[in-house]
Amino acid sequence: MIWLIASALLFSIGAYGALTRRTAILMFLSIELMLNAAALSLISFSRLSGSLDAQVVVLFIIAIAAAEVAVGLGLIVAIFRRRETTNVDELRQLRG
Amino acid sequence: MSVGFWEILALLLLVGTGLAVVRLQNAVHAALALIANFLVVAGVYVALEARFVAMIQIIVYAGAIVVLFLFVIMLLSAASANVGQDLLPRLPWVAGLGAAGLAAVLVYALTRFQPPANAPALGGGLPQALGPLLYDPEKWLYALLVVGFLLLVATVAAVVLIEPERIISATSHPAHPRQDQKPTPPMTEQKDGKAVVKR
Repeated sequence: MIWLIASALLFSIGAYGALTRRTAILMFLSIELMLNAAALSLISFSRLSGSLDAQVVVLFIIAIAAAEVAVGLGLIVAIFRRRETTNVDELRQLRG
Repeated sequence: MSVGFWEILALLLLVGTGLAVVRLQNAVHAALALIANFLVVAGVYVALEARFVAMIQIIVYAGAIVVLFLFVIMLLSAASANVGQDLLPRLPWVAGLGAAGLAAVLVYALTRFQPPANAPALGGGLPQALGPLLYDPEKWLYALLVVGFLLLVATVAAVVLIEPERIISATSHPAHPRQDQKPTPPMTEQKDGKAVVKR
């Protein structure tokens, strides 16, 4: 039960980081923190309910996080080469 | 699940390293704090009978993903230190309030979860227990295949994103072999002691 609370705290910390960080890479780090908190809550539920399916889902989460990081960091590098910044407040070309 | 010394210590370590990730000014230090956080989470997984997932967490998450982060931070931070104008006034305490409210709601919701009275044992979460689930056609086999294909697509996408011009010029005229291929210039060049990024 304490690990459910821990995952809630971690998710909130990650949300705070995603809201306050200026550069895309550090926002991305905070998003990884939130993903990890979700995985921690799944493992905790798996322990509480005695079902192994949640652990399989966590394996999928880790695999998808790896794919996401590969694509996301590729995007960040491409944007940086074009615009010479990763500050999200300066990347305003797509604003509505 | 009793709350003893080790549980409190792990909780403090989790929250402390998490706060370090979102508050440290140096990006490399933040990534290293994230590695510490992932290692503590892996320890918690072992305590929660998920040993295989803990191993994968250390190998893939702490070992590969964060190292990729560190690589990109070190690749870009030579010139990305220029902090520009903010679009909005920065109000970090508003974000703090929002995150605290989110934490309150989540804790309230999660503590109302009633676990089943007699949960079956997990068998330690070893690969021998996870494998039959993962490769069972009625459970997760097709999801596993889809995730494998997703990883392939993501790998190709990352390469295409970083070198689009070369790949387009190499694939758009397959009848003509490439003759005018110039090697791509390096991303940064040294100019009077400072790295300057080339367009």
